[in-house]
This record gives sequence, C-alpha cells and structure tokens, in this order.
Amino acid sequence: MAKPATITRPLISSKRHKSIRKNSRRIYSPYQDDNGPSDDEDKDGERVDSNDPEESFQNIQLQKEIIANIQTKPWPIRRKLKVLKQAREIVLKYEGRLTRTRGYQAAGAELLKKISRVFYNIVVLFIPWEMRIKKIESHFGSGVASYFIFLRWLFGINIVLTIMTGAFIVLPELLAGAPFGTTRSKTIPKEHLASAQDLDTIWSLGGYLQYSVLFYGYYGNVRKIGSAGYRLPLAYFLVGMAIFAYSFITLLRKMAKNSRMSLAGTSDENYTFCWRVFCAWDYLIGNPEAAESKGAAIVNSIRVSIFYIQQTQINNLAVLISLRILANILVLLSLTGSIYIIYFVVDRSQKLEQEKPELTLWEKNEVSVVVSLITMIAPSAFELVAQLEMYHPRTSLRFQLARVLVLYLGNLYSLIIALLDKVNSMSASNDEMARNLSDSTSYLATISQPTEDNLSTIVPDVTERRNSTLTSTTSSAQPMRMQSLLNQTVLYEYNTRSQQDPCWETYVGQEMLKLSIIDMIFTVASILLIDFIRGLVVRYLSDCCCWDLESKFPEYGEFKIAENVLHLIYNQGMIWMGAFFSPCLPAFNVLKLVGLMYLRSWAVLTCNVPHHQVFRASRSNNFYLAMLLFMLFLCMLPTIFAIVRYRPSQYCGPFSGQEKIYDIISETIANDFPLWFSKVMSYVTSPVVVLPALLLLFMLIYYLQAIARSLKVTNSQLRLQHSGYLGSTSGSCSSKSYHNMAYNPCARYAENIHSDPPFRKTLQPIRNEPGVITAQSYAGRRAHTTRYIIVNEHEARKKLMRSNTRIPRHYRLADEPTEIVELYPRNVKCYIPRTPHRSHQPHLSEEEEEEEEDPKSSTKRGSSKQSNRPRSLSDIHQTARFYIGDTINSQLSMEQGLYGDQEDDWGNDPQTNIRGPESAHRYGDPYIKHKTKHKVEPSLTESDSASLASSSDQQNSSTDQYIQVIHNKEKYLKSSAKLTKKKSKNSVKFNVSGTNDLVCSNV
Amino acid sequence: MGGTSSKLPKDLLSEYQELTFLTKQEILMAHKIFSELQDRENGLYSSRVSMEKILTLPELKSNPFRKRICHVFSTSDMKDGSLSFEDFLDLLSAFSDSATLEIKSHYAFRIFDFDDDGTLDARDLEKLVNSLTGETDDTRLTGEEMRQLISNILEESDIDKDGTVNLSEFQHVISRSPDFVSSFKIVL
Repeated sequence: MAKPATITRPLISSKRHKSIRKNSRRIYSPYQDDNGPSDDEDKDGERVDSNDPEESFQNIQLQKEIIANIQTKPWPIRRKLKVLKQAREIVLKYEGRLTRTRGYQAAGAELLKKISRVFYNIVVLFIPWEMRIKKIESHFGSGVASYFIFLRWLFGINIVLTIMTGAFIVLPELLAGAPFGTTRSKTIPKEHLASAQDLDTIWSLGGYLQYSVLFYGYYGNVRKIGSAGYRLPLAYFLVGMAIFAYSFITLLRKMAKNSRMSLAGTSDENYTFCWRVFCAWDYLIGNPEAAESKGAAIVNSIRVSIFYIQQTQINNLAVLISLRILANILVLLSLTGSIYIIYFVVDRSQKLEQEKPELTLWEKNEVSVVVSLITMIAPSAFELVAQLEMYHPRTSLRFQLARVLVLYLGNLYSLIIALLDKVNSMSASNDEMARNLSDSTSYLATISQPTEDNLSTIVPDVTERRNSTLTSTTSSAQPMRMQSLLNQTVLYEYNTRSQQDPCWETYVGQEMLKLSIIDMIFTVASILLIDFIRGLVVRYLSDCCCWDLESKFPEYGEFKIAENVLHLIYNQGMIWMGAFFSPCLPAFNVLKLVGLMYLRSWAVLTCNVPHHQVFRASRSNNFYLAMLLFMLFLCMLPTIFAIVRYRPSQYCGPFSGQEKIYDIISETIANDFPLWFSKVMSYVTSPVVVLPALLLLFMLIYYLQAIARSLKVTNSQLRLQHSGYLGSTSGSCSSKSYHNMAYNPCARYAENIHSDPPFRKTLQPIRNEPGVITAQSYAGRRAHTTRYIIVNEHEARKKLMRSNTRIPRHYRLADEPTEIVELYPRNVKCYIPRTPHRSHQPHLSEEEEEEEEDPKSSTKRGSSKQSNRPRSLSDIHQTARFYIGDTINSQLSMEQGLYGDQEDDWGNDPQTNIRGPESAHRYGDPYIKHKTKHKVEPSLTESDSASLASSSDQQNSSTDQYIQVIHNKEKYLKSSAKLTKKKSKNSVKFNVSGTNDLVCSNV
Repeated sequence: MGGTSSKLPKDLLSEYQELTFLTKQEILMAHKIFSELQDRENGLYSSRVSMEKILTLPELKSNPFRKRICHVFSTSDMKDGSLSFEDFLDLLSAFSDSATLEIKSHYAFRIFDFDDDGTLDARDLEKLVNSLTGETDDTRLTGEEMRQLISNILEESDIDKDGTVNLSEFQHVISRSPDFVSSFKIVL
C-alpha cells in the first residue's frame, strides 16, 4: 500500500463518516434530533471530495450504498431526504449517467412490484373464506385462525383429490361404463330389491347406494370402456395410488416451505413472556370491541402464565409423581378400553348379522356410532385426567395431543383391522375348510366359486372367516384364535353359503363412509349442543341463576384449537384410508369440510371463547403438518396392505378376476405396451437393478443425513456465535445506560482506538497537553471516560445497524465460546501498552506513527489512521506483538492482578473520594454526555466501508466480549460502575508502577 | 415541505417513495387523510397536526400505545407528539406491510421505551404491561404478578443481565417471534 493512499483514505473516510454520521447520530438514545450542529457538519462532509480517482470511486460506492439502503434506516424523513440529496449530488457529480440508468431500473422494478401487487390482490380475491378467516383472526387471534387456515388447506387438498377421482374414475364410469342393472355387479339382487329404497337401508349405505359409483364394487372390470377405449381399471388403480402420492408431495412441500419460513432453530428458544408482552398487541385492530377483547385476552394469557409459573414453583414431588403415574395408568386403561370396545363392537355386529336376518338401524350403525362416541368423549376424559398431572400448560397440551392422536389412531386401526378380519372371513367363506391353516396363500389362490344365484349381499351378512396373514401378523395369539374361529365358521358355513358374493372392498368403503358420516353428525351435534345451547343458556339464564354462569360452572365453550385440529387430521385419515374403496369419499369430505367451515366459524364467532392456554401455532408451525403426515403414512399402510395382500373380489369391482389388484399394471405393460418396454420393465424390476438402486438410495440417505448433521453443527455454532455476538453488543450497549457508563476502561480504550478519525478534533486538546495526561489529572481522565462512553454507545449503534450482515465477522470470537481465557491476552494489550507510549511518545508526529503502522497491517488501514494519539491502535498492535511471547498464564495473572488490585483499592484508595463528585456529576447530567456523544459520533458510521468495519470489529467484539464476561461476574451495576472507575484509575497506576507488581498482586 | 398544499409535488412524491416503504397510492392516501386532519384545524394551515387530531384516526384510536407512537414519530421541538406530514409518512412506513423486521423492531422498542432512555427497564416494562392490560383495577396486574412477570421477562431476554432490555436484546427476542411482523402493522 502506498503511503499517501493510506493516509488520505482514512481521512476521507472519516469525513465521509462524519457526513453520514451526523445524520444517523440522533437515532438512538436521545431520540430527539437536533438539527443545529448537524448542518455544519454537512458542509464539512461535502467539501470532502478530492481528486484521487480511487477515493472518488469509493465515495460513489459509498453514496450508492446509502441511497440503496436509506429506506431501511430508522430516521425521520427529513434527515433521510437530506442524506439522500447529498448522496445523490455526490454521485451525480462523478457519475451522472449512472443515476439515470438507475432511475430506469428503479422504475422498472417499481412497475414489476406494482404488477405483482395487483396480481396478488386478484389472487386474494379467489382465496375462499379469506374474509371470514380475517374476521376470526381479528377477534380471536392467529391461533384460532390457524385452525381455519388448516381447514382451508385440507379443503384444497380434498378438492384436488376429488377432481382426480371424479375426472378419472367416476365420470368415465358414469359416461362410458355399463349402465346400472346391466351386469351382475351393478344390479341389486332380487331379495334385496324390496328394501333397497328403505330409509334405513339407504342410511346404512345399502340398497341403491351400495350399487352406485360411491363404491368400488360398482365399477366394471371391462378393460377398455367407451369408444375411446378408456382403461378404467388401470385408471382406478393409478388414481388410487396418485391420491397418496399427491398427498405426500403436497404435505412435504408445504412442510419444507414452512420450515424455510420459520427461523432456523427457533424451537429450542423460548421467550414466552417476552412475546406475550412485546408481541402481544395486534396493531391492526381498529375496532374498539376487538381491542377490548384482545386486551382481555392479553391479560388472561399473562395471568395464566404467571399463575402457572407460581404454581410450578410450589409442588410436592412425591404426590405429583404418584399422581402422574395414576394419570398415565388411567389414560392407558381408557386407550385399551376404547380399542377393545371397537373390536368387540365389530365382532358383535358380525354375530348379529349371522343370527338375525333383519337388523335394526342401531345395529347397522353400531360400529361407527361407537367409534364416533369414543372419539368425542375420550379427549375430554383425557383432559380431566391431565388436570391430575399438573404439568406446565405447554407440556400438558403436548401430552394431551399425543394421547388424543394415539386414541384416534387406535380407533382407526382397530376398526380397519376388525374390518379386514371380516374380509378374511368373507374370502374364506368360499374356501374348502379342509385346507391347511398355515398356508394362507394357497387359500387366496383357491377361493371356491360361489354359486351364480346368490350374488346378492350386503356384506355384513358374511360370516365365515378365513385365515390370513393380516390377522396372524396383527396378533400373536392368532393361531389359537384361528382354531376356534374355524370351528365357528364351519357351523355357519352352510347357513350363509347361499348368500355368497362377498365384495369386501365395497364393504370397507361402506364402513369408512359410514364412519365419516356419523362423525360429521356427531361433530355438528356437539357444536350445536355443547357450544351453541350452552352458550345460549349461559347468556340468557345467567340473570336468573344464583351463580354467575359466565364465569363459573358452565361458562362458554372453549375453542380448543389443538383438539379440533387433531380431529381434522383424524377425519382426513379416514378419507385416505377409505378413498381407494370408495372413490367418492374425497368428494364427500369436501362437502363435509365446507359445512364444517361455516358451522365452526359461526360457532366460534357466536358462542365460543378462545382457549385460554394459547397454543402457539402460527402458520409457520409445522406441528399440524407433521401430525398429518404421520397420519397419512399410518393410514396408507392398511390400504396398501389390503391391496397387496388380498385377492380382489371375484365378481365385483374393476379388478375382479385378477389374482392381485396390482396385476393390472403388469398386465397392461404386457399387453398394451410394445415388447421392448415390457422387456425393459422386466429388467428394471429384476433384482439386478433393484438391489443396486436400493443400495444407492441408502447411500443417498446416509449422505444427506451426514450433511444434515454437519449443518446442524454449523447451525449450533452460528447460534453460539450469534449469542456471543449479541452478548457483546449488549455488553457495549449496556454502557449506554447512564449508570453503567464508565464501565471497563480497557474496553473503552480499545474502542476509542477504532473509532478515532472523527475524534481527532475532540482529542486535540488533550493531545496538546501531554502534561495533563501524564500527570493523570482528574480532568484529563474524566474527559477520557466520558469519551469512552460515547464511543461505546456509538459502537453499539454501529453494530446494531449492521447486525444483519455482520455476524460472519465474528468468527474468531465464535470459535472460542470459552473465550475468557483466550481473550485476556488481547485485553492485556490495552493495559500494558499505555505506559510506555504515554510517557515516552506523547508527541509523536503523525507521520512517524503512520510509518510504524504501515508495514504492520495493511488490512487495518482504516483504524490505523488514528495512531497520532498515544493510545492508538498502532500502539496496541505493537504491544500485542511484544507480549505474544508471554504465556497466557502470566498474562492472565497480570490481568487478575489488575482486578485484585482494584479490589484492594476499593476501600482505601484516596482517589475514590475525589472521584465522588465527578461521578455524581455524570449520573446527574446525562445531557452532557449526549452532547459529547454527538460531537464524537461523526467518526463512526454505519456506512463505513466494509474494510474499515471489519478490521476494527473483531477487536471490538473481543473487548466487548470481555466486558460481558466481567459483567457477568459482577452483577451489581452500581458497584461495577464504581469499580470500573477504579479500574481505570488502577490501570493507570498499574502502568506507572510496572508489570511486576501486577503479576504478584493477589487475586 | 409539509403537507399543506392540496397536492404533493411530483418529485417529492417520488422521493417519499424512495425513502419509505410506501407505494405511491399509499402516500397519496396518507396525504389525503392528513390534509383532512389539517382542515379541521381552525383557519390557518399548520404543517403539524396535533396529537389529539392524529389519535382520532380509527387505526390508532384503540391502540394502547397510540400516544407513544405519536411521540416516537414526532419530530416536533415541543415534544407534544404532533406530527408533520413527513412524520406521518414515517409512521405509516414503519407500520407498513413491507417494512423490515429491523425497522419494525426498532420502532417497537422506542415505542415501548417510555422514558426514552434507550433501554427498557423495569419501569418501562411495568408501564408497557399496564397499557396492555388497561388501568382498571380488575384487569390490572397485582404488584406480585407484575414483579413475577417482569422478572420472567428479564430472565428471558436480558442476555447481559444488567436488569434492562436493550435494543439488541429486544431485537433478538422479537426476531424469534413468529408473528411480530404480521401484527406490527397499521394500514390506512
């Protein structure tokens, strides 16, 4: 670096800084802006321009940066205007053209923005229920709204599923398939024709409904239908798979999007109270009523959180643990109970069907009613149980959710297992009973032919059981049971033989649809009864009742977000489970969700109060989605299992006559594709290809996992670093508060060093009177301390401004989370160097110092400029080198000695007394400080070119860190303030007395 | 300057667009609303609108921090919370949809800093909580609750343990909040 360049650039940059700084200066603590002095400095700044091209280029860059970023500065407009004008002038001066092109660019960008905004507005118009949700949001906040947003999202998914099934299965079948009554599977058997239109038959989805497009059984197995040769069976299979594939993909994409949106790793950081206070108010609320309810909600949430904190502080551990164990036992009991009940009910329905030819309405719907009842009642029971446990509300909510989820899953699974069990028996009914029990596959292969005339049947009539792997896998006790079942089935075989035409797919579909319908009825009923009627009673009877209905017993119904969301998930799980067997299930679900949307939103607005333990589930929360994904996976399993494991019904459905449902694929490939394709397919599916592919997949997974792990490490490191950085900033910030001002002299000095260029003026008097400094007169020292404070604030502000971009610069800091020890050496520099410089070189000329500086650090040009002062950066660097040879320990001990020294001095230092008035003055008169700060600030600047900032930052941060460490050690603010004063004094003393003393001094 | 003229000069308008997060329409809208407020002032136009007038805006009327908002954005020398048109634009810009988290949290901090000393200390927090809960006896927190709450807040956010929340600590906490940006909005 050429010498002139190093000299001029800092000068310029300092002036530049000044011009900017004057504008930003007032941002902070003395929020008011004073215009007077800043204007003068403006003129100073403008005179800066010199002829050095490099410099002017830099200047332009700087000004452009200002122009680009000015929008994001928290200044009043007037100041922004001034800065902007000035920056523009400068840029124009050097680069007039550029501004114009930039203007075009800006215009283009603006146009683009406008267009996108208009587009967005149009899109918003088409989002269903946006206004409704907004209204709910404004009343009940984002938590409740998130339920509806989730509902809407599910609605969207179901629309797509409906379109898929409707367009590719239902419509083709209706348009081109064989019409009703033409084939056996589409005809209602004679003996059922009479009752086919009865309400209870229809209600239980029998009769005409059973032989309709609603269910699997109706679809024909003709390979190509219509004139276009639509391959309905193939389409049926592909759509069935596509439903799962689509759901998976959308879910995963949504989750990925959400996790991108949410800040990485927020999960383990918890600021419940802060958020509850700082982020509580929704500034959008413009209606007094809403404001009132929002206020009440805030009070409530604050109260509740305080209450729980207080409660958790006083607890009897033994009682608590036993209570929790009891609660868990209760929950487990109710879970197993519910599963047993479902199994029992399915079993009973079978028996009833065998014994009675005509079933009552109750008997037909028993299963789904019981399941719905359990899903409704059990969560409330769990909640009661959870009160025993006395967990923190957040924990208890999690427990509650986990339990409810397990319950729902248990319900669905026990239902589907019971159903498939029944399916087994259906298929087995036609088997010869003499078959070997263990050889289930042979059963599948050899299902006996049913007689032609008993095609009929509502499936429940089937009673025989067949061994299958499903049952044997699901229950270990199966063999035993199988025996008894077989005995049973032998008995029933002849009774039921005449009714054989099992269409188990239709049966499963019927049950799922039935369950869905009953579930809907129960939901509606619970909304009406539990919420609406209760709300009415509470509102209108509270006057004529001896206690306050609104606040005591019945109260208004609460809107329990989490439970409701889980219910939605459960509902969606049913759809996924049944969609393959009942193609219209998604369509039904769409209707159900629409109804639920209106009913729920109405109920919420009219008769619910928000759940008082707020579940933080903002849109970016993946919690719901994760549960939904879990549900999807678990619901897919039984369907896939049934598809893979069972033989499709012989006389109904698109796959009748096939060995396995998925045979349709291989058949299509064999028959309809060119020969080479099937060849390729046979290669692809051969182990030669599949095994390596599998291996590759595993490798990929492993690789990605490794990457994820390393990213996690990086993430945690960054966070550590960030918190360290934050700590350091806050450390320096804390000195902003007036009582802390003269905190750590060492750090102050160091910071001084970095921020000097603007300082020069203010420093000048001190420099000119070396006597003052060396004599360590109070006046001189006091000036120092004040200045330090200012610098410090200034520094902090700078950091804040750049906080987003600056993190990387602190790497050094972050690498050593335990920096205390390592930092000492650096800090020691601050103390040690001072003595020699002060005493020996107070009058060093600028040039001399510059020379010293130059070879040393070309990167630290910016900060080195200031070296004309005794405590300049250059000094520090030199001393640093000098002391690097020392062991850390010795430095540490010196450091400790320093503090020990101070501690000793605490009581008996004669100077403390003298300092008293000075400090009092400082506390009493913050404005003085402000003023000084203003003068000093020009030096700083957010806008300083990156090189300058980065060079000085590391050191600053290290010292900051140091401050923080010290700070943590001494928690008492006032005393620390005093202490620091002493420290400064001590350090001075120390310098005078020499290092030996320090090393020896006690700790 | 100031919004006294019924029409904004074009260059000023574009400058405002560049300096704020507002679009042209929003600025014009703001100008319209602002001049309506001015008109109501008796007789002569003044470039400033008093805080009382500003607070009649429905968007601010029910906000518990309305006075603080005016004070923070006011550049008046009288410290009376009156706003010039530019201050008004500043306000809208900070509360606009597209303002950055940094800007929003900065102003939020200043709004919450009741004594303007640059840190949120226990007294600031107490005032803040009181304005949220309202001053009536039944909603107001008891002394014990307040102490508990404040100590919890400080425990969570006060990284350097100096008993106050400073701007960087505040911004750190706020930046983790999922819904601050979406709720710190005022739309005309």
